[in-house]
Amino acid sequence: MRINPDPYPDILSSVERTQQQIFTDEQQIASGQSVNVPSDNPAAAAVLVQNADQTSQADQFQRSIGSVQGEIQSADSTLNSVVESLQQAISLGVEGANGTVNAEDRQAIITQLQGIQSQLLNLANLTYQGNYVFAGTATQTTPYTLNPSSSSGVTYQGNSGTNSVTLGNHFSLQTNLPGSQLFTGSPSNMFQSIQDLINGLESNNTTTIGSAVTEVSNALNYVDGQRVFYGNALSQLTAQQTYLSSESTELAQQANTAGGADLTAVITNLTASQTSLQAALEAVGQTGQIDLFSYLRE
Amino acid sequence: MSSLNASLATALSGLISEQGALATTTNNVANANTPGYSRQVPVLVSSDPTVVDPLTFGSGVTLQSIESIRDPILESQIQQETQTNGQLNSLVSALQQTQVNFNSSTGDIGTAITNFFDSVNQLSTNPSDLSLRQGVLTAAGNLATAFNTTSNNLTAQNANLDQNVVQSVGQINTLTRQIAQLNGQVSALQNAGESAGSFIDQRTQAIDQLSNLVDVSVIPSDNTLTLTTGNGTPLVIGQTAFQLQTQPTLSGLHDVYSQGTDITSSIVSGELGGQLQARDRQIPAIQNQLDTLAAGLANAVNTVQTGGFDLNGNPTGSLSLSGNPQAPVNLFTPPAGVTGAAASLSVAITNPALIAASSDGTAGSNGNAEALYALNGQNVISGESPTDYYSGIVFDVGNATSNATAEQTASNLVLAQLNDQNSAISGVSLDEEAANLVQYQQAYSASAQVITAINDMMYAVVNMATLTG
Repeated sequence: MRINPDPYPDILSSVERTQQQIFTDEQQIASGQSVNVPSDNPAAAAVLVQNADQTSQADQFQRSIGSVQGEIQSADSTLNSVVESLQQAISLGVEGANGTVNAEDRQAIITQLQGIQSQLLNLANLTYQGNYVFAGTATQTTPYTLNPSSSSGVTYQGNSGTNSVTLGNHFSLQTNLPGSQLFTGSPSNMFQSIQDLINGLESNNTTTIGSAVTEVSNALNYVDGQRVFYGNALSQLTAQQTYLSSESTELAQQANTAGGADLTAVITNLTASQTSLQAALEAVGQTGQIDLFSYLRE
Repeated sequence: MSSLNASLATALSGLISEQGALATTTNNVANANTPGYSRQVPVLVSSDPTVVDPLTFGSGVTLQSIESIRDPILESQIQQETQTNGQLNSLVSALQQTQVNFNSSTGDIGTAITNFFDSVNQLSTNPSDLSLRQGVLTAAGNLATAFNTTSNNLTAQNANLDQNVVQSVGQINTLTRQIAQLNGQVSALQNAGESAGSFIDQRTQAIDQLSNLVDVSVIPSDNTLTLTTGNGTPLVIGQTAFQLQTQPTLSGLHDVYSQGTDITSSIVSGELGGQLQARDRQIPAIQNQLDTLAAGLANAVNTVQTGGFDLNGNPTGSLSLSGNPQAPVNLFTPPAGVTGAAASLSVAITNPALIAASSDGTAGSNGNAEALYALNGQNVISGESPTDYYSGIVFDVGNATSNATAEQTASNLVLAQLNDQNSAISGVSLDEEAANLVQYQQAYSASAQVITAINDMMYAVVNMATLTG
């Protein structure tokens, strides 16, 4: 059978294919990725788009957790101070309820309680990064102002709104409690209880003082109970942080499975391709060096 | 009885024929690297014998013709495969350029969508913060830019493809003119009973080049060829070439006409077929998906945006706080329709305070920002979430490119094999030609020797007569 007398086109196209393979291998080694353009692996390219989205989301959730964490920690420690102030008020109330206290001492107690009252007002008007923490969603409005005509001595100007922030694909966390729920709502009004205690001491009525002390004590228990909300929120945030970092690790593994280059295999391929390129080029060099004409010349 | 003169004539026929054969070999060697050249062989036949009863004497050799060695069926297969190959080459080259827009990068649409929703999530943690609001506006602007850039790139690519279409039609017209002319030369020679081998070679090569550009059907008729496109539009009939024309349509892209008829949609093969496929089908389909995504996203975002309150507590919907009608405050300029939505997507507001993060009118409420963020996971684009829809586009683009590339690789191999087979039949082998050369040379020398011998014999005869006389 007659064979193709011109092997160059075949050799050249084989050289071209090998060079293309070498280019692809080198690209994979340089980028560490097996999917450098969508056509390298369309399904993996689509997975990688979603993977990049989820990875970025997980990073964003971490940042958002960082943002809300500060406010919640600040609220939590402020409530701790509120509880301490209320404990102090109870001690003062118990002291004032003692019949042996003279008018001068009672006045001193009243002054101290008024100090606590304004301290509580400051605590309830806590701001974090320019926002009132206990004003509901009315974070630009001072929640509590002094109001002598009000029975509790203060007026609440915030609202009862709460915010929830999405911090995971299936995780959303309420980040605030309004003052109307924490301090001045039912079943327990902290400011009312302090005002009642001051009123009782001013009228020097032991029964009123006694029941006001109970009121303050209830308020303390109530606020202390509400602290659980923030404590829970903080521990949920920590748990979510842990979850998100493991999710990020998983996503990175998934991305590597879908689009990472198998460097060992790629380098092996590259070496093989280089060898076959060399062989093909040598073949070009040798082909055509010999034909019958070269013998006839002699 | 045979005469010396007859023998001389016979020897001379050998000399002449071997010279002709030698010329054929020389021509083959000269054309060893000429593209499209088919090797030629001399057809030697023995001359009619002389009968001198009761003997029959041979009367030498005749170089009857010089034949080109070719396989018309193989040539036709090569032309078919060349059409497929041309189509795939231009399609792959277009799609490879297209898919670059969908590589993951800092500016691609997928990343821009993610960054936009990330910025909304960050805003949700502190909805009254102006810098976070500005962050959302910036991310929305980047998202619009990503859509604009990608869409404009595809439009520019289509404009380039359109230029290629016009150029291809020009090349087709040049080739059909050449083929019509070659048809004339071939039939003139063949009608005169002569060999038209090299003209046929040139014509075959021109048809191969034409096949690389467009669908061609070759219909042979007496000493000439008729060429039509796949759907029967004539390209060449005998010595007449039918030129194709291009005319711009309303969209600015050119359609292909033959004698007043728009044949654009019937061209499916060759480079022109591939260019049209990319220009009229593949790229518009991707544009349409981008438009669907851009319009769907803009409308979904606007619907949520116009359902809340801005930083100052003003409603962003179509009714003011006092209940009077007002222009709704959209985040994106509402798309006029789906078509062109990606190219024209833009942010409608510059004041970050106008973002409706609040659902109750207070500055600290994040209810509407949360609703905006939730769009990220909602099936708001043709039953898919924005990112899922986008990843679908990436898959489609990658898959189209990958399939076309695989077909191209296969077609390259088929074409290489066919060319290999064809070259095995028609290609010039220098070994063979060297052997032929030696053979013809020796036969020539032998014939020359015979003439020398006859000359001696003649001399003897003449001298004999002289002696006798």
